[in-house]
This record gives sequence, structure tokens and C-alpha cells, in this order.
Amino acid sequence: MKKRVLASVFLSLSLMLSACSGGGSAPAGDSKEQSGEASKTEGKSELIVAVDQDPVGYDPHKVPAASSSRIYSLVYDSLTKLDANLDLVPGLAETWETAPDGKSITFHLRKGVKFHKGQELTAEDVKYTFERILNPDTGSIAKSYFASVDSIEAPDPATVVFKLKTPDAAFLTNASAPSASIVSKGSTDLTKEANGTGPFILKKSEPGQYVLLKKNPDYFSKELPKVDAIKFQIMKDEAERMAAIRAGKIDISAVSADSAKLLEGKPGIQVKSYQSLEYSYLGINVKKKPFDDPRVRQAISYAVDRNQIVQTVWKGEASLTGPIAPALTSWALDPSSYPSYSTNVEKAKQLLAEAGYPNGFDTVIETASTYPDMVESAQVIQQQLKAIGINAKINQLEWGNYIDTWKSKDMNIMVGRNTSGVDSDRSMRYFFSTTGSANVWNYSNPTYDELVQKALEAVDVKERKKLYDEAQKLLVEDAPNLFLASPKNFYAVRDNVDFSPTAAGESTALVKTSVKK
Amino acid sequence: MGSYLVKRIISLIPILFGISILVFTILHLVPGDPASIMLGTEATPEAVAVLRAEMGLDKPLVSQYLHWVGGLLQGDFGVSVHTGQEILPEILKRFMITLQLTLMAVLIGWTLAIPFGILSAIRSHSKTDKVIRILTLLGISVPNFAVGTLLLLGLSLYFNWFPPIDVTSFWDDPAEAFKVFILPAVTMGIAVAAGVMRMTRSAFLETMDKDFIRTARAKGNSMWTVVMGHGLRNSSIPIVTIAGMQIGYLLGGSVIVEQLFSIPGLGQYVLDGIYQRDYPVVQGGVLFVALVFVLVNLIIDLIYTWIDPRIKY
Repeated sequence: MKKRVLASVFLSLSLMLSACSGGGSAPAGDSKEQSGEASKTEGKSELIVAVDQDPVGYDPHKVPAASSSRIYSLVYDSLTKLDANLDLVPGLAETWETAPDGKSITFHLRKGVKFHKGQELTAEDVKYTFERILNPDTGSIAKSYFASVDSIEAPDPATVVFKLKTPDAAFLTNASAPSASIVSKGSTDLTKEANGTGPFILKKSEPGQYVLLKKNPDYFSKELPKVDAIKFQIMKDEAERMAAIRAGKIDISAVSADSAKLLEGKPGIQVKSYQSLEYSYLGINVKKKPFDDPRVRQAISYAVDRNQIVQTVWKGEASLTGPIAPALTSWALDPSSYPSYSTNVEKAKQLLAEAGYPNGFDTVIETASTYPDMVESAQVIQQQLKAIGINAKINQLEWGNYIDTWKSKDMNIMVGRNTSGVDSDRSMRYFFSTTGSANVWNYSNPTYDELVQKALEAVDVKERKKLYDEAQKLLVEDAPNLFLASPKNFYAVRDNVDFSPTAAGESTALVKTSVKK
Repeated sequence: MGSYLVKRIISLIPILFGISILVFTILHLVPGDPASIMLGTEATPEAVAVLRAEMGLDKPLVSQYLHWVGGLLQGDFGVSVHTGQEILPEILKRFMITLQLTLMAVLIGWTLAIPFGILSAIRSHSKTDKVIRILTLLGISVPNFAVGTLLLLGLSLYFNWFPPIDVTSFWDDPAEAFKVFILPAVTMGIAVAAGVMRMTRSAFLETMDKDFIRTARAKGNSMWTVVMGHGLRNSSIPIVTIAGMQIGYLLGGSVIVEQLFSIPGLGQYVLDGIYQRDYPVVQGGVLFVALVFVLVNLIIDLIYTWIDPRIKY
């Protein structure tokens, strides 16, 4: 009897196993089917890219979410573009010139560019696009990028002239943003249809599953794109993405630094990284006591060991950063030019004592529980601040709640992450000028405001650079934010896929990606 | 019976009404604003204001609630504030996926649970029983995200096998759908099996002590006839009860398993809605799940009368 029982246990176990291995024998059949399909459609190549989020709509002027912009930036084009080194290159505009006084910019459009629906791109479309962005009813986040625009003229179908109220050195870079995508004249509801000029056509969007893009056969650059289709497969779990890329079910996936280490050297997979435009920061509300005293903020800056954050939180895969992320190589200052970056607990204690807090104080660090790196950074800072008598409690917030707190301008200190932006104006003015939209720290320094405003209006690049150097030093000295670390971003890529990600963005790299048979 | 059914269905109205108020209130009490979340740290105050107006969030709460319920009464669940997509068709589509997953998980669970539960009961305190009980305890205690991750990584690492990445339905392509759903279904099935097995064992132990079992055995019936003919039916009520609750629960969407295997089911839809504060999506989703849960329970109550004709409504 006992034997029979045992036998039945084994039987059921082996049944379960065979259910799995029944699937296990599938790859042979699968690959046969796939290769059969491939030989039928000779030369067709489809790239499968795993993404972690469902897109939330495709209106480039309204939806800044990364989950959406990675898709619409392949469907639309902008006037200018950035290459892998973040240098300006022609987009829909073939050439452009800025007037000597900097107050007007003339774009000469590429000829023969067609929208996906067939009509030819003209200056009227460009004019319509920017008027749509600037219209307050659109609620475009790009409106603030083009605040300097006074009027837009289209003297002939191939020429657009922007008249500016003040010179705007950031205009050309801002015009390359996906949120300044050129749409066809008369488009109103861009959530429902996407009619761009870009390298890919939005073919199908299956919520929760995938977004399929097909190659635009009439794209103005004849060699591009190099694949016939891109399928963005929505896979929310990192473990699933890792398993899928190892099994060769997907071609490209962004992965965390930890996963990248695990995938390194695995057969069939190459791990690629690049210095991102992001940086983590400790934001300080300069109106809240005791942080209203600059000496307290400087004390914190001396107490925080940024190198330890790079090592502990990012496992060394990050760089020290100032207000402008190091990926903007020609604008970012060398971190060694900031005196308060050298950890000095004695000096920090002394500064605290001068400010009237010889024994430190209690405070709260708020951060988003959604991102482990933010929580870990907060924990490292909590430890480091203990050394100078500041007892910080960490308050982990859910993302929606975090955004609310960030907007409130009423927090104490906060750990978060910013994207530095591809132009220094964004890194500097947008986040820290008195009227900057993202200046939630109540920071207001007339000297700083003047420096960044002058830099924005500076037509000469050398002069502009000098102004930003000064402004960066001033900002680090004033310390409304501590700029902690700028991480590398990682991708896992199948061996037969030629994909080179850069800070210029995923879509810039995807257009040039090819698949070897 | 007929009047009982009518009464039960009428009692649905206050339940659903209560749930609608509850979910609406709780959701709007939670901090976070869909417009700010959508625009993120890129938001300018005016862009947020425009978006809020577009989403209809600038109106007073009471009028938002009435607008929503008014739509519901006409069968209109509204549209997602993020994508502008109709909610009801999306819920139904995703429910069909969750339904297939649930049925497969339950099938796997019961096939394992009932025979082993019975075996464990009639051989109680033997070695077999102990082994089964340890396995059951393991099945209950190991969380499903761990089981799922192990299955996924194990199979892809050692067998280079990974389930198809596009979800297919059983009526479109049964073989492909089987491959899609087998891993999540096994993951969920293990937990289902463990729960049902414990219930089967204890229900059976109780039944097998009853006088009529002894009488049946005394009449000279074989163990098999006694267990199947007398034991199973008389132990069914608690088993069916727990099974019903499990089905109701799983149909609400097994969020973690759906997330892990990228199954675009109902649970994932509502979870995303919560993260993005997509109010109509969460409200509609929760209301729908509540309705399903109540209906499943009603069906279970009806099954009781079939299992045990002494039960009358």
C-alpha cells in the first residue's frame, strides 16, 4: 500500500514536471517556426525592445512621460537633432542661421519630407506646431522652453523665421526636444492618431502588451532606419525582462546596475552602458528653519561624502556631478572645483556651531519608495549626518504622494533625481532661478538669476560658458541642493543586435540599430 | 428558490452603491494628483491646471461622483483620464484573460488538492499524511512571487525556455495559450492546491468519523465506494466554500503574478490605475471585481442546494 502511495506522489510530481518540460521542448518548435517565418519574409527584421511601462498617450506636446516619449520620438521629427555627443545636427531643418543680434532665427527646411499620411511638410506645419505649443490651452510643458518667442513667420514653404523677444541661446537645443515634435497643420487630437514625419509609423498599440512601429519607407534619410519594425514589449518585472533576454525572446532591455552585473558575460548577451543625463540630489528647502541659514546647508554639504554614495548606492557605476551633469561634457565643471565636495566633518561641525546649532537638530528626509536608489541614498546621508549631530528620519513616500510633497514647497529636505536636460539653461535656470518652474526649494538669489539670464541671452559660446561656470560655483556654494551622483544607465542587448545607447536618448540609438542575421 | 434569487440580486444594489461611494471616497482621499503624476517633475503649474480641467478634476467632488454614477447607470464606465480609452471594453477584455488564468490555476490546484487531501485524511497521521502536510505547509508559506520568479528564471536558465511574450486566448490558439498561461497558472495553482488540500483533509476527517460512514463500511462496501459515495459529497460544503472564495479572489486579479509574467489582466490594469491615480479606471475596476465576487458567491450558495438537498432557500 505504501508503495502505491509513494508511486502516486511521484506520478503526480512527474506529471507536473512533464507539464513544464512539455513547454520545455517547445523552443525547438518555436525556433523552427520563427526561422520558417524569417525565410518566408526574406530580409525582414523586427527588433523587440522590452519596456517597463505602458505609454500614457502619444501627444508629444502634452505628455512628457518617458514611456510615451520613447515612442513618439520615433514617430515624429524635430527641427534640430542631437547626435551621440549631444552636438546639434540637422533634423527637419537642413540649415539655420541666427541674426547677429540674436533676436531672430531662420530655419531652412529639408525638401521633399512627407508626413506618414502623404502630405508634404511645409513651413506652415512648423508654424502651426509652435503656435500649438505656445497656446496656453494646450497646456504643453514645452511652452516654457520657447518663452522667448515673439512671433513666427513662414515667408515661403521652405523657410520659417522665429522672431524672439530676447536672444535665446537654448532655442536650437530646445527645438530638438521630442516635446517640440513637428505635427501636421490642423492636427488637434494627437492622442487618437499620430501623423508624423519620423522614421517609424505607429502601427498598433495593445494596452498592457505591446506597441508596434513599422518602418517609414519614405523617411527622408534613405539609409535609416535599419530595421523594418520595432516592437516595444511591455514587461513590468525586471526578473521577467532578464529571463526573456537570456532566452532570446527580446533583443534590447534597459536593466538596473545590479542586473547588468548579473548579465555581464552571459552567452548571447552584451551589456552596454552610458553616462546618463540624470543626477541624484538632496534638495533643501531654503525657507525652512534651520535650513534658511546657508551655513547649515554648507555644513550638510561638508558632512556628506558623495564618493560613498557613488560606491554604496551605485556600486561605483556613477560619477560625481555638479548642477550640470557630467554627460554635458563641454558645460559641466570638474567636481574638484567645488570646495565643499571634500568631506570635512570638523568644518561641518564648526559651521553648524556658528549657525547656532552646536548639538545639531532633528529633521525629516523625504524620498520616493518607488526608487530603491533614492531610498538607499537617503539612508547613506542619514548615517553621514549623524556624525555632525543631525538626526534625520527617513519618510518614504509613494510616487504620487512624493510628487505632491515635491510640489508643496513646504518639505524639509528631500532626496530625488533630476534630468539635467540637454542644455545648461534647463539645468540651471529651470531648476534654480527665482521664477524657475522646478524651483520648489524657494531658492532666490538675484546674482544667480542675473547670471543665468545673461547666459541665456549670450550669443557667444565662450562667454556663455564663463557665465555658467560662475553660476555653477555660486549654486554649489549656496547649496539649495546637494548634487550627489550621476549614474550610468545600462542596457542588455542580444549579441546579434548593433545598439549603442548614449545620453542623446534611446530613440537616437534605435534608429541606427541593425540586426545581424 | 426563484424569490430567493430575486432577493439576492436586489440586495446587490445597496452593496454596489456602498462600494461605489467607498472606492470613490478612499481614492480621492489618497494624496496625489493624476495631472501632476502624468506631467511628473516636468510640470509647470499652468500645464497642470489645463490638464486637470481636461480630466474634469477641477469640478467639486460631489458633482464628479454624480457624473460617474450617472454614467454607470447608463452602462458607461467612462474613459481613462490618461489615455482617453473607454474603460468597460478594456475591463472586459482583461477580465477574459484573468478568467482563463484563474480557471487554469484552479484546475491545476484542485487536481492536486482533492485526491491528496482525501488520501491525507483517510491515512491520517501516517507517513504519507505527514509528507503531504509538509508539502501543503510549504505551498501556503512560500509567497507566489518567489515561486513565479524561481519558475521563470529556472526554466530560462536551465532549459532556455521562456513563455511566449504575446498573450493568446484559448479559443484563438489553445496550444500557444497553454504555453502562455502554464507558468503563472502553476504559480497560482500551488497556493490554491495548498488551501483546498487543508480544507479537504479536515472536512474529510470530520465526515469519516460520522456514524453513517461506519454503517456504510459495516454493510460491506469497499473503502473506495464509501469515500467516493458518502465521504466526498458530505465533505463538499466547506471545500466548495473555500474554492468559491479562491475563485472570487483570483478573478479580482492576482496582481503580483500578473505583474511578474506580464499578463495584461484585470489586476494589473487596476494597479496601474492606482499608481497613476487614474480615478475612473480604479473605480470601474474595483466595482467590476466586487460585482464578480458577489456573483461567484451567489453561485456557490446555489451549488450548496445541489450538493446537499437539505439546504433550502
